[in-house]
Amino acid sequence: MITLQNVSKQYSKNAPYALKDISMHMKAGEFVSIVGQSGSGKTTLAKLLFAEEKATKGKVTIGDWDITNIRQGERPVLRRQIGVVFQDFKLLPRKTVFENIAFAMQVAGEHSKRIHEIVPQVLKIVGLSDKSARYPRQLSGGEQQRVSIARALVHQPKILVADEPTGNLDTIHSHEIIQLLKRINDYGTTIVLVTHDRDIVNALKRRVITLAEGKIISDIEHGKYTLK
Amino acid sequence: MSSFLSSYRVFTFTAQNIIRNFWLSFITLTIFVLTLLTINAVIFLNVIADGALEAVEQKVEVTFYFTPDASEDIVQAAQGYLNGLDQVREVTYVSAEQALESFKERHADNEIILSSIEEVGGDPFGHALVVSAHSSDDFAFISEALETPEFASFIKEKDLTDYETIIERIRTLAKRIRLGGTVLAFFFSLVAILIIFNTIRVAIYVHRDEIGIMKLVGANDWFVRGPFLLEALFYSLLAVVLIVLVTFILLAQFEPNINNYFGDIDVSVLSHFKENGFIIFGAQFVGLAFLSLLTTLFAMRRYLRV
Repeated sequence: MITLQNVSKQYSKNAPYALKDISMHMKAGEFVSIVGQSGSGKTTLAKLLFAEEKATKGKVTIGDWDITNIRQGERPVLRRQIGVVFQDFKLLPRKTVFENIAFAMQVAGEHSKRIHEIVPQVLKIVGLSDKSARYPRQLSGGEQQRVSIARALVHQPKILVADEPTGNLDTIHSHEIIQLLKRINDYGTTIVLVTHDRDIVNALKRRVITLAEGKIISDIEHGKYTLK
Repeated sequence: MSSFLSSYRVFTFTAQNIIRNFWLSFITLTIFVLTLLTINAVIFLNVIADGALEAVEQKVEVTFYFTPDASEDIVQAAQGYLNGLDQVREVTYVSAEQALESFKERHADNEIILSSIEEVGGDPFGHALVVSAHSSDDFAFISEALETPEFASFIKEKDLTDYETIIERIRTLAKRIRLGGTVLAFFFSLVAILIIFNTIRVAIYVHRDEIGIMKLVGANDWFVRGPFLLEALFYSLLAVVLIVLVTFILLAQFEPNINNYFGDIDVSVLSHFKENGFIIFGAQFVGLAFLSLLTTLFAMRRYLRV
């Protein structure tokens, strides 16, 4: 599903490597946690997957699609197939919950009728059916993150990348979000969870890839958070 | 995506942006209107200055006094010749009798002059031609125009000499005012361009995160740009419509006062704006729309690189 071959990333010519010679493969339907301390390269790795950044060296493949040197015009197509959830939610502040989710479908040219079928369904999945007319500022952090997840789900993506989705949330809301991601994974979606939350990783008991200084230092099938 | 659906959504998002960012929309529109108001104020001043100068220029005339032995035929031939010149706006024939009558009227309260005329007896005045020019620049040419063998011997006097200084002053003043108006218009246009440029850049900067988010959820560049471009076009159109209303209301309100101020000189600013309104405001719309669209494209460029 996702393959990285000898991938390196430098943000500028003389800058230190954010990722150095990374190789990994994630199978369809896996739930993989990418862990590491700040500056270890985990967010850079996530950004490579939805083409916010390009690899300096190596090859990144999603399914059969080599996205290493993806052209500007192809990025929207890729992003409509990969769901992304961010730590800061990245919701459009002047659009309602419904409109935020619908926007992801509108950019792909979905017809209004289908949008009005799908959006209520995903709102139900994330438990926000009664808050569809609210603006993001009228929601709690946990609710905003659930809107962000709902938006990532509307295309029924095969891959969902969640970059520190619990970073701005308290323990209770973090737990809700992880449960939601597990449910989505149960439906068959591959989840790539970037986090540095020890408790979450240990509770998941799924595959854990640990990064340090841009390199993979461990990749364990039913891993734990081993960093101090 | 079908282009109809895409266009419909771009229109919808534009309307949402304008309404939901009311204060930003209001401020942007206000700045557009104020900028256009400044430009139109400069146009207004130029029209007034031009009108006033033209009126003064038109009041200046050269009178050719003919000798008493010049027959009416010769004077009329001279009139026909002058009328044929491009530089001449109007030639008025004043007969010797009319000249005497008008002289008497002018000096009706001066017994000495009137008795002198009586004493001279007969009509001491010859025929005269009063010539006005299209421009004060032409008087020098016109004054030389009758220096031909055919007419020169019948010309007793030209009273251009009295006007030469004033004509020269008007010409200098006209040139300075027109140059000043051009410089002022250029300066204000430059200021207007910078203000519009900065206003749009700020408006786009405010939305920079949203632009990035739209890109991250799969919007292509034109889908993101569309509402911003349409918004810029809408503000340009609305600003010009408002400025047309403001200009005509103000002119209708104040033109009588302007005309009173200039006395019998008709500067007719309102009719100038009526006659040339399509070009004046059309050019402002095209300029403003072009500038705001270009600035929007330029300002968005960096935030679209996501």
